Amino acid sequence: MNDSFRRITAIVRADFLLRFRRPSTLIVFLLLSAFAYVWVPDPATGRALLQINGQRAIYNSAALGMATASVGMIFVGLFGFYVISNAIRRDVVTRCGLVVASTSMRSTEYLAGKFLGNVSFLFTFLGGFMLSSMVMLLVRGEARLEPLVFIQQYLLLTPPAIVFVSAVAVLFESIPWLSGKLGDVLYFFLWMAMLGIVISQEATGSLSWGRYFDVSGFGFMIDRMQTTLHTESIAIGASSFDPAKAPMVFNGLTLSPEWIVPRIGSILWPIALLPLAAFFFHRFDPVRTKQTSDKARRNWIGRFQMLLKPLSRRIVRLLMWPTRGHSLGSAIWIDAVLTLTLFPLALVALVGCAIATVALEQPQSVLPVVFLTLAIVVSDVVTRDRRGATLPIIYVSPRLRENLVWWKLGSTCVLALTFCAAPLAMAVSAGGLRFGALFVGIIFVAATATALGVITGNPKTFIVAFLSFWYVVVNERGASPLLDFAGFYGTATTQTVLLYAMISVIAIVAAHVAHRWRLAQS
Amino acid sequence: MLKIEAVSKKFRGGNYGVRDVSLELKSGVIGLLGPNGAGKTTLMQMIATITRPTSGRIFFHEVDVVKRPNELRRRLGYLPQDFGVYDNLTALEFLSYFAALKGVHSKARVLELLESVNLHSVAHRAVGGFSGGMKQRLGIAQALINDPQLVIVDEPTAGLDPEERVRFRNVLSEIGFGKLVILSTHIVSDIESIATQIAVMKEGRLVTLAAPEELLRAAEGRVWKTVLSSEEFERERTTLKISSAVRRPDGVHIRFVGSQPAGGATAVEPELEDAFLHLMNRDAPEIAAK
Repeated sequence: MNDSFRRITAIVRADFLLRFRRPSTLIVFLLLSAFAYVWVPDPATGRALLQINGQRAIYNSAALGMATASVGMIFVGLFGFYVISNAIRRDVVTRCGLVVASTSMRSTEYLAGKFLGNVSFLFTFLGGFMLSSMVMLLVRGEARLEPLVFIQQYLLLTPPAIVFVSAVAVLFESIPWLSGKLGDVLYFFLWMAMLGIVISQEATGSLSWGRYFDVSGFGFMIDRMQTTLHTESIAIGASSFDPAKAPMVFNGLTLSPEWIVPRIGSILWPIALLPLAAFFFHRFDPVRTKQTSDKARRNWIGRFQMLLKPLSRRIVRLLMWPTRGHSLGSAIWIDAVLTLTLFPLALVALVGCAIATVALEQPQSVLPVVFLTLAIVVSDVVTRDRRGATLPIIYVSPRLRENLVWWKLGSTCVLALTFCAAPLAMAVSAGGLRFGALFVGIIFVAATATALGVITGNPKTFIVAFLSFWYVVVNERGASPLLDFAGFYGTATTQTVLLYAMISVIAIVAAHVAHRWRLAQS
Repeated sequence: MLKIEAVSKKFRGGNYGVRDVSLELKSGVIGLLGPNGAGKTTLMQMIATITRPTSGRIFFHEVDVVKRPNELRRRLGYLPQDFGVYDNLTALEFLSYFAALKGVHSKARVLELLESVNLHSVAHRAVGGFSGGMKQRLGIAQALINDPQLVIVDEPTAGLDPEERVRFRNVLSEIGFGKLVILSTHIVSDIESIATQIAVMKEGRLVTLAAPEELLRAAEGRVWKTVLSSEEFERERTTLKISSAVRRPDGVHIRFVGSQPAGGATAVEPELEDAFLHLMNRDAPEIAAK
């Protein structure tokens, strides 16, 4: 073995151990296994995992393999990025990166190690998901387990997503302005855009080059379904089926000759992102990593924010006027105002949302954008103290230690209500249910941001969870009343309002319990 | 062994971290002394090839390390300031990781280093549960794993309790002959017993590089002691460069640095702390008449 190989192996091994020894990884792993149990319902209940052309697919290795591989691919593509995109950052924070930089290891070796570390983590994770799905076949299957068929479906669908996510994570971490919140949001839309383009191309049969960018595997799946089963009507996910229709046998996806090169290509091209990452990589030079952490001054958002500072300072000074005494209310208000101080662009967004609401003929049409902006603004309200190491100072302030959850909930609620003040005012005239849905929707965002921030300590959790949810809601356009959580499309019912109010309460109780438990442990 | 020629580091915005520093160092323990913000860390990072100088050159065994950093990196051991660890790895795994990155593949060497820093008994424990001192000893172990010729340790005793500081000092003093150890600190006692030479930095510039004895000689006749009443002490404490003050029944016994004796002050033998204070405050005002 040469030195390069040994160094890369050492990085992969260390990253692997670090990730798999984290309790959170174990929890997610167990949850995913539990999810497989829910995901593969017993057909006797009237629900099935896979339906093709309205017919239930019999639970065999091919059907379960293909269906669970597609679900796993979505997990990898969407959530995997947020789980693995801290490998380089960790070395900056611990300053182990400085030691790495002082060795004769080449930057390309380091980045290759991080990339392969990401790949091995996601492969193992998906492997675990596959095994739990195989167990579900043993539990609920209608045919014997054929491991090779099962593995084949996973290999046909998931490797491009794993390679793509791993490479993009390394690239984003190497580019200063993409290594933070902006990168997190941008990645979500990048993934969704790639998914959308490939699916629409396959559905319309246009542009064959799009197959090389089919990292999600959905394009491949749709094409193979059209070719072999002459349908693109496929439903994956536990859903009710028509018992009147006879179940069908699905023999699995196969790799036809015209797909060999595109599938291999979609695995290989993301690797080309690594030289680009090497070009931007800071090699832990403190001058450049300082700019990374202080990037707000450099990128266009940061520069725009700096321009707004004189204005925001005056507004913040005015807003601080009511804060007298040491009450929890004062602390809530100060924390909300601090968000505007740290993020002056939020003030512009706030004014923009208000003007758009008042100016538009249909004010509710602006609500999805308002909520998207709101989610970005409030995502790190709860976690910023932990990340900025100011938590010990906060804990010695009166009442804040025990009431952290209420304090942060109050702060996010103040921000959320301020952001949505104009839509709320307009909703008053639209009727009680509309107002109620919007109000509960606002509280739902504040409560989940607070709860996920407190429980996980990471702003990414809320961003990813909310963006995914938001994406589904916006694409549903009110077709499912239960998804119209804030009355975007006017289809929210009393049940909807009660459901999200209940989720909000449960989220806050869970956060409170988690916080109290953590305090007791410390 | 190490030659630094007119090295400067200018940051964006025009501030200098290090300005026009020239040094020539041979083997031994070099104490790099200076107040916070003096440029010690930036200088050490430039020597360690982590950041490049804006101007000037650094030679290690006649090789320009700015142009050919790997020549030095193969023979370098570096312990950065505020060194963190990967909490979930054991001490053995952590050290093996850095050993692999530095091209050391002998497990025996890893175990030997753990033993030398007295961590062999906790080799299989996760380092997240280690005390600050244990983490620092693990840090020095990773710096020494490749048997380096140049060892750079940046503020290694910051945050350690007195016992751990002494233990860490002993580890450093045992590193061995024929090596160059550069140890930066702002605490004089960290280096007074082990440094063969002391480089003093202030505001990015090198004030002096000398043997401790030379520094002490330079401060001779400039260190005084006297006894002040509490009122006098309160009045003078902002103007005098006081290196120590002890309250006793007859008043406050102070030791201060200045060029002229005044009042009832008597000259005393300088210590390294006094010499450092003298270098940092050459324009120190004299003691007011009692």
